[in-house]
Amino acid sequence: MEAAAAANSTETRAEALAVEFREATKRYPGAETDAVHALNLDVPAGDICVLVGPSGCGKTTAMRMVNRMVEITAGDIVVGERSVRERSASELRREIGYVIQEIGLFPHRTIADNIATVPQLLGWDKERTRARVGELIELIGLDPALADRFPAQLSGGQQQRVGVARALAANPGVMLMDEPFGAVDPINRERLQNEFLRLQAELRKTILFVTHDIDEALKMGDRIAVLQEGGHLAQYATPAELLMAPANSFVEDFVGADRALKRLALLRVADIDLWQAPLAYVGQATTEVRAKLNGAEVPHPLLVDSERRPVGWLSEADLGRDTVPSKPDSAAHPLLELDDVMRDALSDLLQAETQYAPVVDGRGRIAGVLSIEIVSEFLNSPDALTDEHAAAERPLT
Amino acid sequence: MLDLAALLPIAQNGDGFVRDPAESGTSCVAENDTVCVGWAVDNIDRYVTPTLEHLELVVLSVGFGFALAFAMALISHRRRWLVPTFTGVTGVIYTLPSIALFALLLPITGRGTTTAVIALTLYTLQIIYRNIVTGLANVPEASKDTGRGMGMTDRQLLWKVELPLAVPEIIAGLRIATVSTVAIATLAVFAGAGGLGAEIYNDIDFKTGIVVSGTIAIAMAIAFDALYVLAQRWISPWRKVRPV
Amino acid sequence: MSVAAPTVVPLADVFDSFSGAIEFIFNERETAGGVGGEPVGGLEQIGDLLWTHVEVSALALGLALVIALPVGLYFGHRGTGELLAVAIGNAGRAIPELALIAFMAAFIGVGLLNVTIALAVLGIPPILTNTFVGVRQVDRGAVEAARGMGMSEAEVIRKVELPLAAPTIMTGVRTGAINIVATAAIAPLAGVLTLGDLILSRNVVGDDGVIAGAIVVALLALAVELALAGVQRLVTPRGLKVQRAGA
Repeated sequence: MEAAAAANSTETRAEALAVEFREATKRYPGAETDAVHALNLDVPAGDICVLVGPSGCGKTTAMRMVNRMVEITAGDIVVGERSVRERSASELRREIGYVIQEIGLFPHRTIADNIATVPQLLGWDKERTRARVGELIELIGLDPALADRFPAQLSGGQQQRVGVARALAANPGVMLMDEPFGAVDPINRERLQNEFLRLQAELRKTILFVTHDIDEALKMGDRIAVLQEGGHLAQYATPAELLMAPANSFVEDFVGADRALKRLALLRVADIDLWQAPLAYVGQATTEVRAKLNGAEVPHPLLVDSERRPVGWLSEADLGRDTVPSKPDSAAHPLLELDDVMRDALSDLLQAETQYAPVVDGRGRIAGVLSIEIVSEFLNSPDALTDEHAAAERPLT
Repeated sequence: MLDLAALLPIAQNGDGFVRDPAESGTSCVAENDTVCVGWAVDNIDRYVTPTLEHLELVVLSVGFGFALAFAMALISHRRRWLVPTFTGVTGVIYTLPSIALFALLLPITGRGTTTAVIALTLYTLQIIYRNIVTGLANVPEASKDTGRGMGMTDRQLLWKVELPLAVPEIIAGLRIATVSTVAIATLAVFAGAGGLGAEIYNDIDFKTGIVVSGTIAIAMAIAFDALYVLAQRWISPWRKVRPV
Repeated sequence: MSVAAPTVVPLADVFDSFSGAIEFIFNERETAGGVGGEPVGGLEQIGDLLWTHVEVSALALGLALVIALPVGLYFGHRGTGELLAVAIGNAGRAIPELALIAFMAAFIGVGLLNVTIALAVLGIPPILTNTFVGVRQVDRGAVEAARGMGMSEAEVIRKVELPLAAPTIMTGVRTGAINIVATAAIAPLAGVLTLGDLILSRNVVGDDGVIAGAIVVALLALAVELALAGVQRLVTPRGLKVQRAGA
C-alpha cells in the first residue's frame, strides 16, 4: 500500500531519539512550590511515554520543558545525546514535533503550506518540500484535493490530522503531543487514536504524550508516567504494571476503582485458557452425550453442526429424548469471538444474564467457552502479569 | 515679526474666481439659481488639476500615516506599556480641528502641500494605529503557540503569522482613514495646498461649483472605498471561505 | 496651485508669533485691516466667538443625538438594518466638510439654524452606527433573561441594552462631537461667527489673531474630548469595567 511506501521513504526513516529528564525542575517566579519537581524520566527511543495526572499536576509543563516553551529552572533534559539548552530555542524546536489540543493551524495558509512550515523554516528546496507534503497527506489519510483548501474548510478531525502531519513534516526525532485528540468528539477521537497507533507502528517515533484521561493513557502508552500535584512523579510503568501494582493510593485512585476491568481492556478472549464444553451433534444418542458430561469443565452440552459451529445449549428436557434434537432449548447466545476485547466480551456475557458463552474462531467454529469464573481466576493467577505484558505489546485496533 | 501674508490663501480678495466675471445677463451662471449642468460639462477641465492635487494629498497623507503608524505598532508590539501612550497621543491629535492645525503649522512649515500633508498624516494616525494593534491582538493564541513551538523566532512569528492574520483589520483601518482624508482634504485650501476645496473656496457662492467639487470628492471617496473592499478580498482569501 | 517647497522659518520667529498670539487673546488691539476699523482681540471678543462656537456645537450635537439615538436604539434592538447602519456610518465619513458648509450657505441660507443642521449631519452617522452596533453587541443571554423575567420591550431597552451599550454609544458621541466642533470652525463661511473667524480673517485680526484662534479652538476641542471621556466613564456600568479589567 502506498502509505507503507511513504513510511519507508528516506524522509520518514530518521532516527528516533531518546529523551531523558534529569532532575528537571520548573519553578515560576514568585511561586511557592515547584510546578515540576526534580523529574527523572527515561523515555527510550521509539517509545510512547504518556504523561498523565490531574489538572495542575505539571504534565503539560514538563512536556513543554522539552522544547523549551517553558524554560528549565534547574536540572536538565537531554534529547538524543544533547542537552536541550545547548542550542537556541528556535533551532531546537525545528527538530521536535509539536501538536497541541487547540490544533493551532494557521488560518491564512492552505493545508499544504501549513504542513510545509518547518521544512520552509529549515530552508528545504521547493521540490523536496512539495514531495514531502504529498507524502504526509497520504500518510494521514487525507484526500489530496484538500491540500489547497484552508483550515476553516476542514472538519475538526481532519484539522487534527493535519496538525499531526505538520509536526511530522521535517522528520523530527521526538514528538510532543499535548492532549492532541481532546478537541475532537469521542467517536472521532477513537478513530484518530487508532490511526495514530497504526502510524506509530510504522514510524516508531519517540513521543511524549500528555493526557488527563487514564483510559487514553492506557491505550496509547508504552510507558505511563503518573504525575502528582507539583510535578512529582508517582509512578512510571507499563500499563499492565500500573493496573496490577499501583505504587501508592494516589495512583490507585487515579487509575480508578475499576482497575480490574481496565486490565480486561488490554486483553483479548484468545489470551486466556478457555473451558471446554461437551459437544453434541444432531441425531447423536443422548446417552453418549450424558457420558461426556461427567467430569466436564462446563456442565452443559453444546449442540454444534457438522462444521463444529454452535447452534445452542441442550437442556435436561432435550437430553430426556433418545437422540439429540435439531432444535435445542436455548440458543448459543451470546456468541463471542477469539478476537474480541476481553472487556467487551465480559460485558456481553453479563448483559445476557447467562453463565457461559461459546467462543468461536475466525470461521465460526467452536473454540471454547467463556465464563465469569474463568476471567476472575485468570486475573488472580501469577501468569497474568506476563500474559498482559505480551498482550500490551500488540496494537489493539 | 513673521509675515503670514505670504502664507495664507488670498482668495478672499477675489483672486482666482471660478466664474468668469464677464458672464452676465440671464445665463444660468449669472443668476446662480440652481446647478448649471451645461457650465459644469463645458468647464470640467478646470477641475482636473484640483482633483489631481486632492488625490496627491490623500495618497501622500495616508501613505505616510500608514508608515508612521506601522512603525509605532511594531515598536509597541513587544513593549505593551507604550500602547496607552501612543493611543492617547494619536487621539489627542485627532481632536484638533483641521484649520487650527494648519494655522498652527503655518509658522513652522510654511504654506503649501507640505503643511497640509503633515496635518492630514497626523489625522490618520489614530485610526490606523488602533486598527493595527487590534488586528495583532486578535491573532488566535493557538496559532502563535504552535508557531513558536515549531521553531519560529519572534520576528518570523510576526511576519509569517501575526501580521498576515492582522491584514483584514489593517485594511479596514486604512479604508476608514482614506475616506476620512478625502473629506478633510477639502480644507487643505486653508493651508495653501489647493485641492478641490480651493475650487469651492475661491467662489464660495457659486452653487454649481460647490456641487461639482463636492460630487468629485464624494466620488473619489467611494472609489477608494470600493478599492479597499476588493483589496481585502484579494489579500485575505481565507476570510471568505466556508467549510467544504 | 500651491508651492511644493516648504518655507521653514527660524525658531525665534516662531516663538515671537506664539507669544504674540497669547497677547492677542488677552488684550484688545488695533485692527490690522486699516485705520477706522473695530479693535480686535481681547477676552471679550474671544469670549463671544467661543460662546457662539460652543452654542452651535452643542445645538448640533443635541440635534444629532435626538435623531440618531432613538433610531439606532430601535433598529439595534430589532436587529434589522445592519447594512444600512454601517453604510450610513461609512457615508458620513465621506462628506466633505467644506462642501457641506458651502452647500448649506449657498442653497439654503446662512444663519444659526442652517449651520446647526449642517453640523448635525456630520454628527449623526457615528452616533447612529455606534448606537446600533453597541446595542447589537449586548450579550444576547442577558436580553433573553430580561424578557423572560417579564420586562416589556421598552424596559429591556432602557434597563438592559442601553446601559450595556453605553460605552460604545459614547464612543460614537465623542466622534460625532469632534466632527462637529472641528467643522464649526469653518461656520463663519456661512455667517455664524465661531472661533474659526479669527483663523479665516487674517486681514482683520493679523497673524497673531490667526494663531490665537487656532490655539483657543484647539483647547476647546481638547476640553470637549476630555469632558466626554469623563462622561463615558461615568456612564459605563461598574460591572462592565470590572469585566474588562479581568479580561
